[in-house]
Amino acid sequence: MEKIIFMQTNYEKQEEKAKQDNSSIIISDSVFRKFFIEVYSITIFTLRFFKEVLKPPYEFNELMKQSFLIGYKSLPLIVITGFIIGLVLTIQTRPTLAKFGAESWLPAMVAVSIIREIGPVITALIFAGKVGSGIGAELASMNVTEQIDAMQVSDTNPFKYLVVTRVVSATLILPLLVIFADAVGLLGSYVGVNIKGNVSAYFYFSQVFQSLEFADLFPAIIKTFFFGFAIGLIGSYKGYNSNKGTEGVGKAANSAVVFASLMVFLIDMIAVQITSLLQN
Amino acid sequence: MKKSTSNKMRLGIFISIGIVLLILGIYFIGEKQQLFRSTFRVTGVFKNVSGLQIGNNVRLSGVNVGTVDNISIVSDTSVSVEIMIDENARQFIKKDAIASIGSEGLMGNKALIINPGTGGKKRIESGDIIATSMPIDIDSILMKLKTTVENTADITGDLASMTRNIESGKGTIGRLIMDKSWRENFETTFINLRKGSTEFRILMEKANDIDQAILSVKEAIENTSNITSDLAKITASIESGEGTIGRLLMDRSMAQNIDSTFIKLKEGAAGLKILMEKAKSSWLLWGF
Repeated sequence: MEKIIFMQTNYEKQEEKAKQDNSSIIISDSVFRKFFIEVYSITIFTLRFFKEVLKPPYEFNELMKQSFLIGYKSLPLIVITGFIIGLVLTIQTRPTLAKFGAESWLPAMVAVSIIREIGPVITALIFAGKVGSGIGAELASMNVTEQIDAMQVSDTNPFKYLVVTRVVSATLILPLLVIFADAVGLLGSYVGVNIKGNVSAYFYFSQVFQSLEFADLFPAIIKTFFFGFAIGLIGSYKGYNSNKGTEGVGKAANSAVVFASLMVFLIDMIAVQITSLLQN
Repeated sequence: MKKSTSNKMRLGIFISIGIVLLILGIYFIGEKQQLFRSTFRVTGVFKNVSGLQIGNNVRLSGVNVGTVDNISIVSDTSVSVEIMIDENARQFIKKDAIASIGSEGLMGNKALIINPGTGGKKRIESGDIIATSMPIDIDSILMKLKTTVENTADITGDLASMTRNIESGKGTIGRLIMDKSWRENFETTFINLRKGSTEFRILMEKANDIDQAILSVKEAIENTSNITSDLAKITASIESGEGTIGRLLMDRSMAQNIDSTFIKLKEGAAGLKILMEKAKSSWLLWGF
């Protein structure tokens, strides 16, 4: 932390000096500097997380409480979204498949889409919106009201108590939520198939599982751990390092959502590359 | 404290259901790949596997009974395919079963199809090498198709030159279609034909009257045949010397009688002549 403050003051001095030379170069220069300083801070924050997560004592009760708040409380939202996504995807896909006379492929296609991509990504985005912003705002307001400083004074490790529990619970809970979203999404898809046809549930789900392979399921589940970790970590980072003042709370919540959503897509892109590399 | 316990219970239920769903998903996907059933393995060696992949279905009489477990190239002309088959299907697959590579649909995946073999043979054992047959290679079909297309191109080329000739009025058909004088000739021919057919119709109507004439001719012919048969009878009786004419013509004695009659008449006539001459010189008849 001291290092960062030092870097920032040093950078301010340089900025003032450069102002005299050329203003346009300063803007790009400052953006780059800010970006790299942010990268540095996040890396330090992540490393600190890994250092703290393995070190006892473990805050199990807080972890359970956070898992309940993050996971269980998000379940209705995730389930409703999953159902609608499955239903809509099926209804939207049907005309395209009907053009090729391949309506019988509908369960297979929707199942692969939901399990591989749509289930994990949509759930992660909603999770980022609900939980990422929640963690960011909560920690930022604690920071503003100096509760974090108070914890430090009272010999409680605030990082361990606040950040580690939230990041771990987000990492562990998101895959579970994705499994729920996938299951409900397939149910929604079954309803969607039955809107314009008459397919028994047994036939539908046997078609679904015929089309799926472990290569579809496992990479999709594994990447959701990374999604959860990224969302929890970014939310916590933004909240923990927020500016003092009420403005800082809103800013922390907002940037947590934006940055976490972006990270979800970045991780997804990397995951798909790794999956396709492993499959070939 | 009470609230915290109920929250923990809810969280527990949530996690349990999530894990159960995951296990169910794994089970059902694994079930398809026969992970939780007793299976046996056989190996088939193909020259070309036509894009068969690990995990493709193995079919016996159209029923999925297993999956392709491994594919490895043994040499430049042989590919070894390890097949995992459900133990329940073993009783139907005999030692002389043949594996071939087909496809699940027009656009679908490849599938390994097992022909079960003849009834009298022993069951296949785990680790056996199954006989294989060459899959229908789409490339060879395409090669044949290429020849067909080339032939079609030749034919269409010929057709094009033919139609060009027709258009330019060459050959009989060309002249028929394009030449004006031919067309006029044909028109007149057709007009004549039409006239002819009208006259033919009139003729046919008249033919009804001819029927009557033919009937009377028939009658006449019948009468003639009667006359000739009578004539035949007459000549036959003449020939046999019956009747006056017959006897006249055929009876010798009669002829002799006639002859002698004529001789006598001749003699009588000569005597008469002499008598007449004598009478002429007689005085009694001087005044005559």
